[in-house]
Amino acid sequence: MESPLAKLDTLQAVELAEGVEIRLRIAGPVLRANAYAIDLLIRLGIVIVTGICLSFAGLALGERVADGLMLLIWFFLGWWYPVLFEAGKRGATPGKRSVGLRVVQPSGAPITLGQAIIRNFLRFIDGMPAITYGFGLVSCLATKRFQRLGDLAAGTLVVYDRLPQEPSVAAPPPMSSVRPPVALTADEVRSLGMFRDRAGLWSEARRCEIADHAAVLSGARGKAGVSRLMAMAHWLQEKRDS
Amino acid sequence: MTAGDFENKNSARWAEYEALVRSVELGKPMPGVENLPQRFRELCLDLSLAQARMYGTRISEKLNALVIRGYNLIYRQKTGGWQAVVRMAAVTFPQTVRREWRLFWLCSAVFWIPFFALLIAAKHDLTWIQSILGSRGMADMEQMYGSESGQIAHLRSAYGSNFMMFCFYINNNVGIDFQIFAGGMAAGVGTVFFLLFNGIHIGASAGYANAACDPKAFWSFVVSHSSLELIGMIIAGMAGMRVGLSILWPGRLPRVRALVEASKHALPLIYGAAVMTALAAVVEGFWSALPIPSAWKYGFGATLWVLHVVYFLLAGRQARDAA
Repeated sequence: MESPLAKLDTLQAVELAEGVEIRLRIAGPVLRANAYAIDLLIRLGIVIVTGICLSFAGLALGERVADGLMLLIWFFLGWWYPVLFEAGKRGATPGKRSVGLRVVQPSGAPITLGQAIIRNFLRFIDGMPAITYGFGLVSCLATKRFQRLGDLAAGTLVVYDRLPQEPSVAAPPPMSSVRPPVALTADEVRSLGMFRDRAGLWSEARRCEIADHAAVLSGARGKAGVSRLMAMAHWLQEKRDS
Repeated sequence: MTAGDFENKNSARWAEYEALVRSVELGKPMPGVENLPQRFRELCLDLSLAQARMYGTRISEKLNALVIRGYNLIYRQKTGGWQAVVRMAAVTFPQTVRREWRLFWLCSAVFWIPFFALLIAAKHDLTWIQSILGSRGMADMEQMYGSESGQIAHLRSAYGSNFMMFCFYINNNVGIDFQIFAGGMAAGVGTVFFLLFNGIHIGASAGYANAACDPKAFWSFVVSHSSLELIGMIIAGMAGMRVGLSILWPGRLPRVRALVEASKHALPLIYGAAVMTALAAVVEGFWSALPIPSAWKYGFGATLWVLHVVYFLLAGRQARDAA
């Protein structure tokens, strides 16, 4: 099997107890920052709405009771809002869910309450210096799996929950089906398949440019190389028996 | 078999599986949900086949996503409910504190040494304390614990102010506990800083109250919640130091692995510290400022200190070791 860590890729291969290998796609800092910003806006909204409600309710409850409730809400939104959502069924805060992320264990399993507490309480350090999230960002960039310090301590990853559908444009249909001249490794076969799947998205020049890298395999450059690679992909994927 | 044949043959089964998964995800399990584990394992097999036979990215990605969704449902962890909470309070938490006795004394020293140093210094020279508290801090202390009797009770006389102070202490003090824990991630430096800071500040306040305010007003107010709040803070410090020391001295484990283990061991300490400090907020909010004879408060406070010693020395001794 290929070693996924050796490559520069956000795909994380995990073997389950069922003996199958799943691929988790690790989320990078930019998307996570977006999710955080959305969560921040949601919490800000809650504070404003409950603040207004409590200022009216304060007339009945007493001003100090309303102030106290506001402090409690502040406490829960600050420390417990992400914990409760991430330990919950969906494993994501509303912000993460809206951008399609989820917090999981390295095995892909949902995280526990304890892990949610650790990763979110340590946010305090990740957010430093001065809530710029500098430490968290450096940690994300320095680790293979984009983990901030809280993720490292809790042993959690942030992954794409549902992969966005890749746009697929029909590639030019292969004219023929050609058997590859040498036996290919699994990775090479996968690369050929992906080349064929994505070829429709690229311009002719881009296709040639990429295909030229495999000129040794196709034995041709330029357009001829592209059509030869496509023919091999076709043979590998569909016409193997013939 | 080509990719197309494979997909045609199995797509009905995949669709059934996906319907089951979706129904469970939405919280409304449809009939036949008991087949989900079996369907899940079949799908795992399909995914392995698709990968081994290289049926292409599209099918693999689709099956991969379906397997992950099922895996998340089937391996969801149920928390233990009330039984787990009781066990945590009666066994795991005191056992963990005893096991980490070195950290307990370390954090206690970091807090109590500056505390007592400033308390004693106040008897001889107030300049240190004056520069620590500043004019605002000293004015606040005098406002709360000045010489008039029952000043605190008077401050709390407005309707709802007990409740407001309770909420304030929850937000402030429990939040400080969590910060003390998080500070451990900076190799323990943050934890030591917060403990020292609190030791200095609380020691200075106590020293100033002794020297310049009405000592009785101060001590009768703080004695009731002091044990819960201060021991809770020290235990939060233990949690932070457990994490911090695992970074400094990971032992035989790789550093990240040691960090994960240490965080797991620190969890009971965090739970305990949070609950203790929350209880302290209840006492401080609703009891400590009551206009009742100070003797009752001293008695209550002393009882709590003794109960703490008994609890941490004896609770959970008989029970089997917490994992």
